[in-house]
Amino acid sequence: MTSTSLTADTQADAREGAVAERVRKIRENQGAGVSRAEGWRRRGPLLPALIFMIVVTQIPFLFTLYYSTLSWNLVRPGSRQFVGLNNYIAVAKDSQFWRVGLNTVILIVGVVLISAFLGLLLALLLDRAFLGRGVVRTLLITPFLVTPVAAALIWKTTILDPTNGILNWVLSLVGIGPVDWIGQFPLTMVMVELIWQWTPFMMLLILAGLQSMPRDILEAGRVDGAGAFQLFRELTLPHLRRFIELGVVLGAVYLVNTFDAIYMMTQGGPGIASANLPFYIYQRAFLGFDMGQAAAMGVVVVIFTMFIASFALRLIFKSFSGKEEAA
Amino acid sequence: MTTPRVAEDTEKSTTVEDSAVAPKKKGRKFDAWGAVAWLVGLGFFFPVFWMVLTSFKQEGDAATSPPTLFFAPTLDQYGKVFDQGIGPAMLNSVWATGISTLLVLLLGVPAAFALSLRPVRKTQDALFFFMSTKMLPIVAAILPLYVIVSNIGLLDNIWALVILYTSMNLPIAVWMMRSFFLEVPGELLEAASLDGASLWRSVREVILPLVSPGIAATALICVIFAWNEFFFAVNLTAVNAQTMPVYLVGFIAGEGQYWAVLSAAATMAALPVILCGWFAQNKLVRGLSFGAIK
Amino acid sequence: MASITYTNATCIYEGSDKLAVDSLNLDIQDGEFVVLVGPSGSGKSTALRMLAGLEDIDEGSIEIGGKNMVGVPSKDRDIAMVFQNYALYPNKTVAENMGFALKLRGVSAEERRKKVEEAAKILDLTEFLDRKPAKLSGGQRQRVAMGRAIVREPQVFCMDEPLSNLDAKLRVQTRTQIAALQRRLGTTTVYVTHDQVEAMTMGDRVAVLRFGKLQQFASPNELYDRPANAFVAGFIGSPAMNLVTLPVAPDGVKIGDSTLELERAELSKISEAGLSEVTFGIRPEQLELSDSDGVDVVVDLVEDLGSEAYVYTHAGTGMELVARCNPRTAPKLAESVKLRKHPDGAVHLFHPQSGERLN
Repeated sequence: MTSTSLTADTQADAREGAVAERVRKIRENQGAGVSRAEGWRRRGPLLPALIFMIVVTQIPFLFTLYYSTLSWNLVRPGSRQFVGLNNYIAVAKDSQFWRVGLNTVILIVGVVLISAFLGLLLALLLDRAFLGRGVVRTLLITPFLVTPVAAALIWKTTILDPTNGILNWVLSLVGIGPVDWIGQFPLTMVMVELIWQWTPFMMLLILAGLQSMPRDILEAGRVDGAGAFQLFRELTLPHLRRFIELGVVLGAVYLVNTFDAIYMMTQGGPGIASANLPFYIYQRAFLGFDMGQAAAMGVVVVIFTMFIASFALRLIFKSFSGKEEAA
Repeated sequence: MTTPRVAEDTEKSTTVEDSAVAPKKKGRKFDAWGAVAWLVGLGFFFPVFWMVLTSFKQEGDAATSPPTLFFAPTLDQYGKVFDQGIGPAMLNSVWATGISTLLVLLLGVPAAFALSLRPVRKTQDALFFFMSTKMLPIVAAILPLYVIVSNIGLLDNIWALVILYTSMNLPIAVWMMRSFFLEVPGELLEAASLDGASLWRSVREVILPLVSPGIAATALICVIFAWNEFFFAVNLTAVNAQTMPVYLVGFIAGEGQYWAVLSAAATMAALPVILCGWFAQNKLVRGLSFGAIK
Repeated sequence: MASITYTNATCIYEGSDKLAVDSLNLDIQDGEFVVLVGPSGSGKSTALRMLAGLEDIDEGSIEIGGKNMVGVPSKDRDIAMVFQNYALYPNKTVAENMGFALKLRGVSAEERRKKVEEAAKILDLTEFLDRKPAKLSGGQRQRVAMGRAIVREPQVFCMDEPLSNLDAKLRVQTRTQIAALQRRLGTTTVYVTHDQVEAMTMGDRVAVLRFGKLQQFASPNELYDRPANAFVAGFIGSPAMNLVTLPVAPDGVKIGDSTLELERAELSKISEAGLSEVTFGIRPEQLELSDSDGVDVVVDLVEDLGSEAYVYTHAGTGMELVARCNPRTAPKLAESVKLRKHPDGAVHLFHPQSGERLN
């Protein structure tokens, strides 16, 4: 039997350059033909879903852009005419729009931050094993599952009603007089209801984060002499940061569309005190039939949301899709 | 030469699931924090509990102050709800939810599979696109959708909702199922391919059985979101195609201050999904975070 | 006929400009047991996967039984593979796992059952046939993976580090059984490992790879006695061969203060290459403790393995040398001793830059 031998490697730059040259040539030869057919075979199954989504979501949005350049009221037929950016100017001058925009921001920021905080507390509570933990978790996620309009209805009537609502009854026990919650604090009450519904979501995300934390780091910390609070601050919280961030960003994205609670609890009122952008636009379009204006507002909301959404997308792609395993 | 025999293993049987994280202790402890957790849990659950409780009351017991805790339960309210024609609305919801979920699976499973294979540059973009559609505020699309839907004559037709719900759930479903597909070790596909299986055969015999719990969970999540959807439903349907949430709103217009029957209607609207969610708890997080969190 | 021929086979790392396997040339005879060995990143697994069709052959070709496999998908190559993590189908029983390939080929259920039971008997798996992989131990799963390969009676067996997930004792047991099984079945086998002990004990011939390039392809004995370059010399053998770069003296090489004499032929090779230094290699068992002559060293560590002992020492200039000795007469720590070459001990000379063998 013979043996063959080759020179052992020396990593001179020239050699690396020669290798890269070869690789380039090989890739060139392969370029067309095989990989293209393969590429279609691989991407094929994706197409139906992709086409469906493009048709159903992108095309309507293009129309919205178009409508925003029209002055068009559904009730007055034949009133469609191109007015360029007039609608946008009107929107910019519409003080109600900006007030409602402010409401929207307050709503989103308030609900997201408070429910994230509460969610953190709940997750910490649930992270330890205790009797009946599974049951408590089931109880805690229920608010998120309740149909939003049903939930809003229950809050409006049985809980917040000035005369017979439970909240006022409980407060009366400590001598606080009956308060017309929805009448006096409409936006706040909507926010409370939303916080009730969204805290479970935050809790679940953060709980997943807590449970994904490798225990041996905590053990190492304990051996090194850290107390419970220090462990939390130095080890747990940094680990949780990306989960909390994800919850905040996703929550914000989902909450931009809040509609059900406002519709059911306050109808945006009194006036526009508790209206948010989707509700306001809805009023303009379906109650006022002013399509052009509503469309312009819709476009503005989209631009505003793209800002948040780009954070969300970057976060999801970057910190979480670590391993792309090839099948 | 004698037949080579393999000697006894010195190892004991072990199962595959060696958890890397600390094993769950069977917590028999009932300490102060446990009690706090229970209190908080009950507190959060209270409105739902109250809703169900009230639905069994007579109207007289429903809107009282102080609230009535003990009463003679009755099914009258549910009877009234059924009399008022909740049936068709139920059916509409079931139909819209069911068919759209089916469509989501039909379109989404192949898409998720394609996206989980060796990533071509375009697949990253496709993924990105899917996710971004979920983030656009639907209020921007409702206007042309209304116009288009009424022009095609699908206003107050359940099929409009079917299509819209499919588009609403497809991104989440694709991302969730993709993460399930990614969990299947690549080696299994390689082994099947060496054994002589075509791609289709390997998917059917090896991958799908492994992924089916994930697909079931995805379906449950789609059901939850489709059932609870209100915005599209209220704007695009009237009497014929109204779903449960729309029906509920209509119910209020008629029944106003009658809390017991309202509670009954609300319970009926919310119950199916609450049960679904209870079953799919773990997978809920996955779906909500677009599969980012396992 | 299932000979295997790699001709300038090349594979590029996915998404990078590096070559995983660089112009590999191997000529494997029918029925031979060939081991591909090397450190991580040497390209050995990639070379195996190219054979199995799991990696593309970017340049060159691979022939099985004379047929070119470029462009031929895995399922048509009639190759069975044992994966490092076994890759058993979790939702199928052991019997179904083993019979899957036959089922795909359309073999009748009866015939399948017969063949599966035969293989199960050889591998002592008969009582596990109806269990699912999750309920098996690591060693049992490994046997199922082998059984799956055997049942197919393929042209070629590919094995990708099949023993690396087993504990040490089981590894040694299974090693001999795999070798015996292969001899009985006579199927051409290509086996990948990073463990040079496995390579030396199991292979008819061994191919040593480094950074995607073939270093040497020869029988274990030849690799041991005549390594083709410094890398192979240092890789094969445990503990590793002593490799030191020494200045050249008129009649040999200088180690410390003394000169080790070399043969005439060796000296002429060195002067031909115009070298003032040479990489000198000598195996621990070719060094012995002496009282009289040799290199002065200080003992750093003594490893007593029961049947033999290894003495780790260093010479004045920091040069480290390992020698084998009798455990009963081993020196103590920090003791000063002398090491000399065995009278007929082989020395290996390598070019200090290229590493290529000189003698």
